[in-house]
Amino acid sequence: MSETMFNTNSSVESALPASPETELVNRIFSVESDEQLKPINAAENAEIWLADGHGVDQLDGLDDDLDTVNINNFFHRVDSDQIIYQTKKKQLKLIGKYVMGDLLGEGSYGKVKEMLDSETLCRRAVKIFKERKLRRIPNGEQNVRKEISLLKTLRHKNVIRLIDELRVPEKQKLYLVLEFCVGSLQVMLESAPGKKLPARQAHGYFTQLLNGLEYLHGARVIHKDIKPGNLLLTLEEVLKISDFGVAETFDLFAKDDTCYVGQGSPAFQPPEIANGAESFPGFKVDIWSSGVTLYNIMTGQYPFEGDNIYRLFENIGKGEFTIPEQIQDPLRDLLIGMLRKDPMERFSLQQVKQHTWLNRKPPPSDYTVPIPALKNDKWHNMTVLPYLYSHYYEDLGATYDKDGNLTEESEYFTERELNAAAEQLKQLTEQTNGNGPSNQSSSNSSTKRGRRKKRPLTCIAVQKFSFCKQS
Amino acid sequence: MPLFGKSQKGPAEVVKALKEAVNGLEKGDKKAEKAQEDVSKNLVLIKNMLYGTSESEPQTDIIVAQLAQELYNSNLLLLLIQNLNRIDFEGKKDVAQVFNNILRRQIGTRSPTVEYICTKPEILCTLMSGYEHQEIALNCGTMLRECARYEALAKIMLYSEDFYNFFRYVEVSTFDIASDAFSTFKELLTRHKMLCAEFLELNYDKVFNHYQRLLNSENYVTRRQSLKLLGELLLDRHNFTVMTRYISNPDNLKLMMNMLKERSRNIQFEAFHVFKVFVANPNKPKPILDILLRNQEKLVEFLMKFHTDRCEDEQFNDEKAYLIRQIKELKPLPGH
Repeated sequence: MSETMFNTNSSVESALPASPETELVNRIFSVESDEQLKPINAAENAEIWLADGHGVDQLDGLDDDLDTVNINNFFHRVDSDQIIYQTKKKQLKLIGKYVMGDLLGEGSYGKVKEMLDSETLCRRAVKIFKERKLRRIPNGEQNVRKEISLLKTLRHKNVIRLIDELRVPEKQKLYLVLEFCVGSLQVMLESAPGKKLPARQAHGYFTQLLNGLEYLHGARVIHKDIKPGNLLLTLEEVLKISDFGVAETFDLFAKDDTCYVGQGSPAFQPPEIANGAESFPGFKVDIWSSGVTLYNIMTGQYPFEGDNIYRLFENIGKGEFTIPEQIQDPLRDLLIGMLRKDPMERFSLQQVKQHTWLNRKPPPSDYTVPIPALKNDKWHNMTVLPYLYSHYYEDLGATYDKDGNLTEESEYFTERELNAAAEQLKQLTEQTNGNGPSNQSSSNSSTKRGRRKKRPLTCIAVQKFSFCKQS
Repeated sequence: MPLFGKSQKGPAEVVKALKEAVNGLEKGDKKAEKAQEDVSKNLVLIKNMLYGTSESEPQTDIIVAQLAQELYNSNLLLLLIQNLNRIDFEGKKDVAQVFNNILRRQIGTRSPTVEYICTKPEILCTLMSGYEHQEIALNCGTMLRECARYEALAKIMLYSEDFYNFFRYVEVSTFDIASDAFSTFKELLTRHKMLCAEFLELNYDKVFNHYQRLLNSENYVTRRQSLKLLGELLLDRHNFTVMTRYISNPDNLKLMMNMLKERSRNIQFEAFHVFKVFVANPNKPKPILDILLRNQEKLVEFLMKFHTDRCEDEQFNDEKAYLIRQIKELKPLPGH
């Protein structure tokens, strides 16, 4: 149980439901960023603990039977002041040659985390599939296998690239190592005022989307699920089309692009799919959903809405929509062309590419939406680094601790101590406004007093502890 | 620019001065040294107007528009490119930077420089022939690739007779020039999908006659690169018509089968990706079918042993298994 971070004096099960845990800030890095990580790490660690502590069968039982078990028999009550907490270490984890970092996001199949290639020092993202979870999803395994083999053949600047594929049978996990992206267009939209982007910025992303799409269509791939949530962005603002879970590749010798199945996100589906047509031209599906995407990022709204999927499909099926007044030609004309009800009349990719709106860069606006901060870190620092620090510099910290005699104290502590420390921190924050790094340097000049000073730092974790407990 | 004193010369004056200097350089008389100096100086001035310096911002749009207009009217762009080999090292780079910046200029949806070059195609021809001269090849390359981004200019280049010189440039002995030429060549053939597809269809015989020579080149790099590009071109959906035509020709099949047996494993592998298209074709013409039938057993045997160590590449193994099955099941057309 490499990542366990709390010991209780009762059985392990008793600790599970409440999941009391805390994470002490490792002295070397700043406090702010870690604080933000807290809720996510909590969930993550609970899960790792589950997976490692028990066999999978037992785990399934836990998952399913939790509410049927008599709670009193199952859980042994422990007063909070009896619990001894242990500081959470940033335990270095290696998967193959990759060093694991923090969580970037979560999809339906599993988590996405940051990774560092220890050989090339490239930042990567890793999509983690749990085979157990995958088996529960209809066609889950099959779709993933299809996606992997498809991704392997694709190589374009605006299409997410699969870099490596790792299977760890002991953990029943599959790791897909991908190019590093910081978030999706959807996340960026949600952070933007009015949930829309300035014309110049939208133009830039849309052009990249078209370039990626042109490549995909050239490779006879229909994505079928183009939407802001599937368009990822790198730190250099390069757009990457991702998520080929429902994509379809048709044969090299197919006469045309006729498709029979449509299974993308409802709000982005074209009328022919909403109306349940038996077959339809595939490329035009991507044109439509790109049109909805453009509409969405330019206005913050959707051309078609509905309280439920039936209403929504009814509205899409009619193919009638309005464009807000402020959208004027040539953009208006482009949207109308891309959202033509009849796929045959709808613009082709070439028509879109040659449209006036695309050939004219909108004037720069006074405001651009920044790439959304990840856990309040707008600089997107590498999250692998803390793990490396704690792995390689832990011993360094310990030598300081010898004369301070605080090593033991900081590793195990009770809630009473935490409360006291929290109190102390409150007073301290009222007095000073020093931030993490400056505290850190003063504490490194390790006298006994210096060590005392460090306590408030560890106390910051206390606040997180209470915060976490509620969740 | 403090280096040159108070140099608040307007665009018209700078362009005029530069033109005179370039003309002086062209004559190559005893004043050439002075002319060289003037060319460099004025090029720097123009570059700074467009890009700014560490101390000053780029000039306003109005000034830049004036500058562009002067450049068009004076025909200086062509003159600079024609005399590029006479300009000193830094000056060559400045010419490329100025050229590329002016090219990217937009007024609304219009790109005035692109329109201008369309009326002066000799600029493009001169740039393409730049690959003949070692000392300016790479500078011309950067300008050419910038031009190739515009469909109108790419079209002029593709359809010009000079385009076929690329088949020679990509094979020259100087490796950096050959690579640069190849990337320009590839850009021209892949950037604008519709334009390229149409070009290849219309000029199929001529292009693929030339292309054949690349595939048979003595030069390993040329052979490998061109084979890879061929695979990309044929497998791109936009070039469907070209592909069907290519895979109907038995000579092409023979060539690929020979390349499957090349010494280089990389070439074998690239050839495999072209070869598979011949086999996968559901409507194989008789000559193709005949060749495959004649070699049926040998091919199956060969493919069974082909790159067996690529066990981690599922895609490749699936395709190989598919090909083996296809070839095993081949039957002569009815009536034979």
